[in-house]
Amino acid sequence: MMVSDAMDETPKTEGGIRLTEQQLRARRSRSVAIALALGAFVVVIFLVTLVKLGSNVLTRPM
Amino acid sequence: MSVTLARIEPSIAGFGDYVALLKPRVMSLVVFTALVGLLIAPGHVHPVIALTALLCIAVGAGAAGALNMWYDADIDARMLRTAGRPIPQGRVTPGEAAGFGLTLAVFAVATLGLLVNWVAASLLAFTIAFYVVIYTMWLKRSTPQNIVIGGAAGALPPIIGWAAVTGGVAVEPIVLFLIIFFWTPPHFWALSLYRAEDYARAGIPMLPVVAGEAETRRQIVIYTLILAPLGVAPWLLGYAGPLYGIASVAGGAAMIALALRVHAERQGHSASKQMFGFSIFYLFVLFAVLLADRLWGGLAAQAVSHFAA
Repeated sequence: MMVSDAMDETPKTEGGIRLTEQQLRARRSRSVAIALALGAFVVVIFLVTLVKLGSNVLTRPM
Repeated sequence: MSVTLARIEPSIAGFGDYVALLKPRVMSLVVFTALVGLLIAPGHVHPVIALTALLCIAVGAGAAGALNMWYDADIDARMLRTAGRPIPQGRVTPGEAAGFGLTLAVFAVATLGLLVNWVAASLLAFTIAFYVVIYTMWLKRSTPQNIVIGGAAGALPPIIGWAAVTGGVAVEPIVLFLIIFFWTPPHFWALSLYRAEDYARAGIPMLPVVAGEAETRRQIVIYTLILAPLGVAPWLLGYAGPLYGIASVAGGAAMIALALRVHAERQGHSASKQMFGFSIFYLFVLFAVLLADRLWGGLAAQAVSHFAA
């Protein structure tokens, strides 16, 4: 497989990697876990920002 | 220019395999002891900041576990206790575990530093590095003192919890550190007495493999005799109440009695198995009573101030 092929926007259906049912299931569960972890990280940053800055979150020097 | 890419087999690692890489049982003990360090610390920290600190400590501990499994995959495969882990089973590649562990370690330390404080973050970074580099890569395969020195990594979480609140270190969390530090050798040597063949097969120089059972039993008694008075120290130093005093004296006496039984045992390993099981219960009770003591003390103080007002 060439990098130039991989960058081609047209999806290749022949000759590419075909995932088995088990690999698809595993990838889906990893994707869900990454999404949940990123969501949790965003929530943590949001809450800590509120706690640390409080109402000052809107106050900034012009 | 064109580059030929090697075909890589798509991963079959699922969510559960990555959870297993984090060593959730070790992580729960780390979170529990860090929570105690956090709650006995003087001063106040917002609950969201406290939860963030615990989350970072948990993820940092998990990262250390993943890096340990990456480096130890060869010996894990040779031991019955660890042969079912994701890398020896072929569900996760060593590279995936290393990348996962490193990413989580960097995230945990940076997040703890930016959102809580850099003293706690530095201690977390030191703990991860100590566990992975000093214990896993160096001591574990080279000396029977591996778990004695390496135990420092598992003993640091209460200090990190304390530092998350105060931004510093004091005698109180250092005593908790010493309790876990001196608890680790008798705990693991009791296990290694009845798993000696497993360790020998993997080529790990645990004390029973290198120095024999008799010496291991003697060392278990020595470390338990140091541990029992240390367990009482939080009460003697005045930062734990009488309930803790009773629990630590009774638990320490039971630990010494069990260590003496292990020392006297000549046939079989029933005393070692009992000692291994009871040591977990002993450490859990010490920290749980300390936690209850502090929570109850806090509630009582709030009630007194409420009625006085």
